[in-house]
Amino acid sequence: MAKTLLLEVGVMFAALAIVGLAASRLGLSSIPFYILSGIALNEFVAGRVLSLSVSNSTFVSVGAELGIVFLLFFLGIEFNLERLLADRRRIGTAGLIDFGVNFGVGFGLGWVLFGSLLPALLAAGVVYISSSAIITKTLLDLGWIANPESGPLLGTLVFEDLVIAVYLAVVSALVAGGSDLATAAQSVGIALGFIVLLLALVAVGSPVFERLLDTNVAEYLVVRAVGVTVLVAGVALAVGVSEAVAAFFVGMAFSATSHVQDLERELTGLRDVFAGVFFFWIGLVTDPFLFPDVALLVLAAVAVTTPAKLVSGFYGGRAYGLSDRRSLRVGLAMVTRGEFSLIIATLALTGAGSTLPAGTADTIYAATVGYVLVMSLLGTTLMQFSGAFENLLPGETPALRDGS
Amino acid sequence: MKVYESEVPGVGQKYELELTGDKRLVVVLHHDGRCELFRRDGPDADGQKILDLNGEQANTLGSILEGAFFETVDTQSLSVPLGEDIIEWIDIPDDSPVAGSTLEGCDIRNRTGASVIAVQRGDETVSNPGPDFELAGGDILVAVGTRQEHATLTDVVRGED
Repeated sequence: MAKTLLLEVGVMFAALAIVGLAASRLGLSSIPFYILSGIALNEFVAGRVLSLSVSNSTFVSVGAELGIVFLLFFLGIEFNLERLLADRRRIGTAGLIDFGVNFGVGFGLGWVLFGSLLPALLAAGVVYISSSAIITKTLLDLGWIANPESGPLLGTLVFEDLVIAVYLAVVSALVAGGSDLATAAQSVGIALGFIVLLLALVAVGSPVFERLLDTNVAEYLVVRAVGVTVLVAGVALAVGVSEAVAAFFVGMAFSATSHVQDLERELTGLRDVFAGVFFFWIGLVTDPFLFPDVALLVLAAVAVTTPAKLVSGFYGGRAYGLSDRRSLRVGLAMVTRGEFSLIIATLALTGAGSTLPAGTADTIYAATVGYVLVMSLLGTTLMQFSGAFENLLPGETPALRDGS
Repeated sequence: MKVYESEVPGVGQKYELELTGDKRLVVVLHHDGRCELFRRDGPDADGQKILDLNGEQANTLGSILEGAFFETVDTQSLSVPLGEDIIEWIDIPDDSPVAGSTLEGCDIRNRTGASVIAVQRGDETVSNPGPDFELAGGDILVAVGTRQEHATLTDVVRGED
């Protein structure tokens, strides 16, 4: 049994390595490729064709869980409250426009499709949260990082990160909690109480973490940081609150210590490996034969939510006093959705059969996977070819003569 | 001159320097030491990438720009206000022929032309050591002389004359 399991895990990592290479050759984000490799090797595809597939073993599913924990942990480590407060007027304006437009559009879409509160809230989250990882990487690749448009983009992403931490706490409580209002309110109360507890941990825990992480040996630093993070996340999940949010706050507590740069350097590899496992697992539990059923849904979501991000990003850029051309770039970049939409999709699966009808949960999950596959590629492509869209703006001098 | 600093989450720090006119230099310092330099020729111009350096290259470039870069001292260009003479520090190896003999005994002044003005032993410095001062391995001689005299002294101390 263990013999074949190790082989399966080896196949998984080899597949991630191969598709990662393909993605970098093509100059595209690796995330959709990781998902597709998981789909290709799962029981629905490879299982049917070769009757051999990578099973959804405990290792893969716990590895995916660790991927979520490390992604959120890094979000917390990189989250800088001072920066947000120092620039609160501009970040707040751009962030609120972004939240109002996209969360609203997502909620409306979810309500129209499913007609109840919880699915609408899940759809709102999936649509609202852009991909920090993909957008930041593309900013660097295209050299936009040196331009004024990087200000509103990074500012809005920081705002989104804070919102998503609160959102995950509340919505995971709703998904896990009961169906009637009283139990839902109770579980949300517990979740918010847990957040307060974690915030207290951040406030008083930093000196403790400072001493805990005070070592010159990289091995000890990694082991201690992982020990604290995974333990706190595990406790959170055991008492029925979001492990992702717990990891976010542990990261935030660590970010106040003087070891933050060492942690980032030493743990990035670990995060990347387990995040890869997470994306692979997303594909592994996705039945692509369900895609035709949700294709229209995905198309509708793409058609409605792409313009929504374009508009909100544009006005976010204007809030920073940018020109139309640069504001448009902010909108184009924000189209990219990725890792956090998928985390919300897995949340939907946990509620299948209890707070969500099983069919609805599966539909939300499959549609989100399809949606992220499209939006991660669409967003990066829009950024790469932004010049063509900029020339469509009124009053802009075309970079190329079009012969008219 | 203004420098704008901002954080790039998950990447590192970004610095913008105002140059002459509307030009700006943008420096992106990654956590892993990598350093990217961009030039922006105006408030509405896009950044042009100038350089992409690894940590070591960035540090070297930085110290050159600071005027603090030195790798080897070119003694040919050293100028000390002693006319033809310069001051040099010479280590006495443990197996040196002069270790164990007095200054008078090894007759440095006559053999080399250089004058020993001080001897450093560990943390202390003996200035103007007398003729009966006994040298030991690990001492550092501080001597005055021309380049030629120093070269001879080095040979004597190393037993290569």
